[in-house]
Amino acid sequence: MNSLRYGWRNLWRNTRRTLITLTAVTLSTAILITSYALMDGLLVHAVSSATNLVVGEVQIHAPRYLADRSIYRALADPARILRGAREKKIRAAPRRYGYGLVAVGTKSAGALFWGVDPELERTTFDLAGHMAKGQFLAEMPSRGMILGRKLARSLQAEVGSEIVVVVQAADGSLGNELFTVTGIFKAAGDAIDRNAALIHAADFTELFVSGDRIHEIALNSRGQMSTQDLATLAADLASKEEVKTWQQLLPAVSDMVNLFDVFIWIFGLIFILAAGMGVMNTMLMATYERIPEFGIIKALGATPWRIIRDVATEALALAALATLLGTALGLAGSYYLQEVGLDTSLFAGSYSVGGVAFDPIWRAAIGLKVVLVPVVLMVIISLVASLYPAGLAARLDPVKAIHRP
Amino acid sequence: MKTIVRLQNVTKDYGQGQALTHALRGVNLEIESGEFTAMAGPSGSGKSTLLNIIGGLDRPTSGKVEVDGREIDSLSNTDLGVLRRDRLGFIFQNYNLIPVLTALENAEYVLMLQGMPTGARRDRVREVLQEVGLEGLENRYPRQLSGGQQQRVAIARAIVSEPALVLADEPTANVDSKTGLALLDLMHRLNEEKGVTFFFSTHEEAVMKAARRLLQLEDGVICNDGPNHM
Repeated sequence: MNSLRYGWRNLWRNTRRTLITLTAVTLSTAILITSYALMDGLLVHAVSSATNLVVGEVQIHAPRYLADRSIYRALADPARILRGAREKKIRAAPRRYGYGLVAVGTKSAGALFWGVDPELERTTFDLAGHMAKGQFLAEMPSRGMILGRKLARSLQAEVGSEIVVVVQAADGSLGNELFTVTGIFKAAGDAIDRNAALIHAADFTELFVSGDRIHEIALNSRGQMSTQDLATLAADLASKEEVKTWQQLLPAVSDMVNLFDVFIWIFGLIFILAAGMGVMNTMLMATYERIPEFGIIKALGATPWRIIRDVATEALALAALATLLGTALGLAGSYYLQEVGLDTSLFAGSYSVGGVAFDPIWRAAIGLKVVLVPVVLMVIISLVASLYPAGLAARLDPVKAIHRP
Repeated sequence: MKTIVRLQNVTKDYGQGQALTHALRGVNLEIESGEFTAMAGPSGSGKSTLLNIIGGLDRPTSGKVEVDGREIDSLSNTDLGVLRRDRLGFIFQNYNLIPVLTALENAEYVLMLQGMPTGARRDRVREVLQEVGLEGLENRYPRQLSGGQQQRVAIARAIVSEPALVLADEPTANVDSKTGLALLDLMHRLNEEKGVTFFFSTHEEAVMKAARRLLQLEDGVICNDGPNHM
């Protein structure tokens, strides 16, 4: 007769009470796993939206470029950086930036022009597939332009609209060209939505007379490397330039991720504590009901440690069964939410946080930690919760305990 | 003969002030190995208190208690537990079996506490259950056994580890007289054939008659002690 078998049989002495606690711990575990998977899904999606759409995990700029975004603050040797990234099999997209005016008919607006290499953007980021209307830029320069959705709305531009561009070129001259709208982005964050105008790198160079100036190289390993490792690599490749991680570039998103992490822990701890109280209540009642029996066991020579072990094993058996059932239930719920997701557009429409657009379909992300953390915590809290009743049983005076009615 | 129990001027008081009760008043007692001793006395005479003190379940207020050569006062609670586990057997009035354990598991409980390997203890327990007449009932739970059968399990549990002394608190009080006599016969046989030392309390005349030595306890004092002439 080992402690486990003894504990297991003791659990079923009061079937109803055990079933109630079992249900409570099972549901707590299931809810914990499902909500953790949902929160993690949100975080994974937040990070992936922040990095894979357009920002990248790390960006390299000339020193102080981000402070004034001057067209003259270009990277000193972008070719070396791009070559180095290619050798390390890290995808990189070079970008040129310049300000100007765009007009369609009588409507005009300020815009930030992005001079991009369509092929590198396509292979490095998801922006090329993020089209609401039309198509991404062609391989060859063709005076095509893609607009952010709010900019397009304010210009009343549609795919095929002719768009007049006026810019201050790098040589001081006035650049003036006619482009055609080839596409309009879906919601991609406030900065892009309001003023992004993407054009081919060659068109940009011609328009802005900017020569071989490149203002930004965005690196994206798509999770193959940690952000910190990638930043270290970027710093090696561009020692005199400024290297920023996505967390530095998008502090609001980074703060949100950190906040959610804290929130998950607080939320989880509340559930775990509630479940732990349930286990403690069950074990306390079971202990009080069996005081004479503990007296007998002590009289027969069981040490306090043996009694603590027996009570703790009983609680662990309950917790193990409950977490097993809770894990199965939680995984089933998480799987559904991973595959189907929750459509939040019914309540919130499309939304963005810190300038990063979020998919309104909120999906769970199932990972090892999503299961392991709640299960381990639940087992630990059950064990801890059993120590108080176990201590009570272990300290009983055998004579008084045996004669307790 | 080895002296198993030696009590010198043992007192036990409960309560304080006006509620102070003298449960034992200067008890002197020696029990030797192989004895079959009964202790008689009315309710409240201190029989259970004396058994508890000898069994290391309670400590005396004053006096010296020696069990199996060890002075109880010098032992910690854990050491007392070990003494009970290894050298003493207990039979309680209400059987006090563990309801979720079968007859075999109840009887083997002490051996399990002692750390005896499963195979060896199962063999030993089966042998003892056979001795107490419970062959074939090993896998029954206490609720599936009669009062007499439950007390036989309790006896098996008390003697299975071959203790130096078995203490029995009114072991036949909760069974009918026929069953009580059968239990008494069993204890007698174990004493004679196996040399198990028994010290038990009772207020039943039939049980007293079976003892070879009879103590009379009144108001916490042994007023009579000697060979049984009943």
